[in-house]
Amino acid sequence: MRSNLDRRHFLGLAGLGAGAAALAACGGPSTAGTADAVDTATIDFTGVKPAASIDFWTNHPGKSQDVEKAIIEKFHAKFPDIKVNLVTAGANYEEIAQKFQTSQAAKTGLPGLVVLSDVWWFRYYSNGSIIPIDGLVKQLDIKIDDFQKSLVDDYKYEDKQWALPYGRSTPLFYYNKDHFKAAGLPDRAPATWQEFAEWAPKLKATSGAQYAYIYPALAGYAGWTLQNNLWGWGGSWSKDWDITCDSAQSVAALQWAQDSIYKDGWAGVSSKEAADDFAAGITSSTISSTGSLLGVLKAAKFNVGVGFLPGGPEAPSGVCPTGGAGLGIPSGITKEEQLAAATFLKFMTEPENTAAFSAATGYMPTRLSADMSAVLAATPQIKTAMDQLAATRVQDNARVFLPGADQEMAKAAAKILTQQGDVQATMTDLKKTLEGIYTKDVKPKLKA
Amino acid sequence: MPAEPPVPPVRAAKPGQAGKRWSTRSRREFFVFLAMALPNLALIGTFTYWPLINNIYYSTLDWTLGSASATVVGLQNYVTFFTSEEASTVLGTTAIFTLVTVGGSMVLGLLVALALNSKVRGTTFARSAVFAPYVLSGVGVGLVWLFIFDPGYGVLAWILRGFGQQSPQWINDPQLSLVMVIIVYVWKNLGYCAVVYLAGLQSLPRDVMEAAALDGANGARRFFSISLPLLSPTTFFLLITTMLSSLQAFDLIRIMTPLGNGTSTLIYEAYLQAFGAYNRAGYSAAISVVLFAILLIITVLQLRFVERKVHYS
Repeated sequence: MRSNLDRRHFLGLAGLGAGAAALAACGGPSTAGTADAVDTATIDFTGVKPAASIDFWTNHPGKSQDVEKAIIEKFHAKFPDIKVNLVTAGANYEEIAQKFQTSQAAKTGLPGLVVLSDVWWFRYYSNGSIIPIDGLVKQLDIKIDDFQKSLVDDYKYEDKQWALPYGRSTPLFYYNKDHFKAAGLPDRAPATWQEFAEWAPKLKATSGAQYAYIYPALAGYAGWTLQNNLWGWGGSWSKDWDITCDSAQSVAALQWAQDSIYKDGWAGVSSKEAADDFAAGITSSTISSTGSLLGVLKAAKFNVGVGFLPGGPEAPSGVCPTGGAGLGIPSGITKEEQLAAATFLKFMTEPENTAAFSAATGYMPTRLSADMSAVLAATPQIKTAMDQLAATRVQDNARVFLPGADQEMAKAAAKILTQQGDVQATMTDLKKTLEGIYTKDVKPKLKA
Repeated sequence: MPAEPPVPPVRAAKPGQAGKRWSTRSRREFFVFLAMALPNLALIGTFTYWPLINNIYYSTLDWTLGSASATVVGLQNYVTFFTSEEASTVLGTTAIFTLVTVGGSMVLGLLVALALNSKVRGTTFARSAVFAPYVLSGVGVGLVWLFIFDPGYGVLAWILRGFGQQSPQWINDPQLSLVMVIIVYVWKNLGYCAVVYLAGLQSLPRDVMEAAALDGANGARRFFSISLPLLSPTTFFLLITTMLSSLQAFDLIRIMTPLGNGTSTLIYEAYLQAFGAYNRAGYSAAISVVLFAILLIITVLQLRFVERKVHYS
C-alpha cells in the first residue's frame, strides 16, 4: 500500500479543510460578544397560556421514580390541560447536567423543568441557561415564605430566585446499633470525632466489621462530606472566594482523617457507595445523605441509628452542610412552556407533595407547613435530618460555585486517603488548581 | 516573403479523450454511481466530517458548554494544554494504557490462539468462550468487574481475605485504577486478537512447517522462524486496529473510574473537560484535535514504516 498524497492533493485538501472550517464558523455559539445573562426585564407572563405538554428531567433522587410518577398523576388530575412527561435524564446530578448542557449547546430538546444540584445551578445561572422565577412566583402565588428559609435562600443570587428546593438533604451519621451495643457504647452518634476516635478501637475489636467507620466514596461527593471534617477543625475549602484548603486547620483535619486509616487503622474509604457498604455490614458507621436513609433502612439487616454529624476540636457543632437538588426552569424554551413548568413546579413543591417525597426517600421536607406526622410515625429517623437542618451551614463557595472543584477535591482526597500522600503538599496543589478555576471560569462572570 | 497567416490555436486533446463524448450508457452508469454513493457520502459527511470540522473550529474558542456565546482565542487552548501539568499526565496515561493494552491483547491473544489451534477436545467451546467478552457491552463488563474488584465486598477481596490479606484499593487508588482498567480491557479484547491470530495460524502453509520439522527444527524454532514471520500481516493488521481502538477506549474507563483519577486518557480527558464537570468545550475540542492528530500520525507511520517489515507471502 502506498500513499498517493502529492503536493497538489495536499494543497487541495488543505484548501478544502480551510473552506470547511470557515463554513463551520457559521454554526455553534455566538462569537459576537453577546452576554449570557438572561434579560430578566423582558420576562412577563401576562396573557400567556400554559403549554399543553412539558418534559420533567430528573434523576429520581433517592430512588424517587414511583413517588414522582404518583405526584405527576395527581397533577394531571388537577391540571388536565398540562401533560408532564417524566424523563429519566441521568443516573445522577452530573449526568442530568451533561444532558442539559448538551441540549443548551444544541439549542434543542430542552425540558420544561429540570433537577439541578447544589453545584450546578450557579453554572446554569452564569451561562444564562435558567430564568429567575420571581415573576412566576408572584403570578402563581407560590408561598415562598412557607419554604425552609435556608433551603430556598441557597438559590438566591442578585436578589433573584433562580430555583426552588426539591430533593434537599444533609449528610447524616449512620451507625449500626448492634455493633455499638456489643462494644458497650452509648446508643447515639458521637458528639465529636475525638469521641469517636476513642470508640473506634472498641468497635473494630468487637463488631467483626472491616471498619469502624468508612469515608464516603471519593468519586461521589467527597468535597461535600469532607466539609464536616474541615469545619470541625476550623478549616474550610474556601472563605468567600479565598481558597483556604491549605490552611493549617484544613491540613490538620485531613491529616487526622489520613491517620484514622493508616496510623490508627480503624477507618476505610468506600469504593462506590458508603451507604451500601454500611447496609452490607462492612462498616459500623459512615456518613451519607439523608436521601439514602430509606434505602439503608430497607437493606440493612440490623438496627440502624442516625445522628447529627460529629463536631471537631474547633467547632463541636454547626458543622453540617446542606446539599441535594432543586428545580429550575430553562431560559431556552417558550414562555408557554415556562408557565406550564412553573405551574408544575408549584404543585410539585406543595406541602403534601414534599411530605410524600420525603416519606418515599428520606429527603427533607422543604415546606414548613408540610404535615410530617404520618411520615415520622413510619420513619422516625427522618426527624433527625429535620432537626439537623437548624445546625447546618452554607457550603463553601469553592465547592459549589467552581466548575469541576468537586472533582478536584475528590482527587486530592484520594491522594491523601488512599495513597497516603503528603497532606500539606496535596492541599497546596489543590489550592493552585482551584484558584486557576476561579480566575479563568468564574471571576470574569461575576458582577462587580 | 509574405508572412504566413496565423494558425488558429488547436486545443490539445488529452490522450484517449479526443472526440470522446459521454454515451448514454456512461451517463446512466454515472447517475447510478451517484445514486449509490451520494447517500453514503452524505451520511459520512454529516456525521463524521462535519463534526470533525466543527470540532476544529470549536478548538479555537473559549467556550463554556451551555453558554450561547464564546470568544475566539486562536490556538490558546492548544498552548494551555501543552503547557499544563495535566498534559504530561494525560499523554503519559494514554501511552501506558495504549502500549500495555495493545501489547497485552496481542501477546495473550497469540498465546490463546496457539492453544486453540491445537487439536484437543473442547476447542470449539473454548473459542466461543474466548471471543465472547469482545462482543459483550463495555458497560456490562465494567459493572461486573467493578464488583469483582470492589475492596469491600468484591470477589477478589473475598478471596484475598481467605488468605488473610486486605484487598488493594483498586477503585480509589489512581495507580491501581489504571492497572484495573488495563486488566479488564485486555480481558475484553484478547478474544478479538486470538480469533484473528487463529485465522492466521490456520492459513499458514503446512508444507513449509512439515519441511522444517523434517529438517529437525523444534517447535519453538518453527514458531519464531516460520510462523511468526508469516503471521506478520496479521500482526500488522492487529497492531493498527487495536491501537486505534485503545486510543479511543471510553466505556470501561467511564464506568469503572468515572472521575478519571489516574485513568484519564486523551479521549477521556476530552470528555471530562467538556461534559464531566468543567464545561470547557473549546479546550476539550482542542484535546480532541490533538488525539485526532496522534491517531493520524500513528496510522501514517505504521503504513509507511511498519508495513515494510511485513511478509505477505
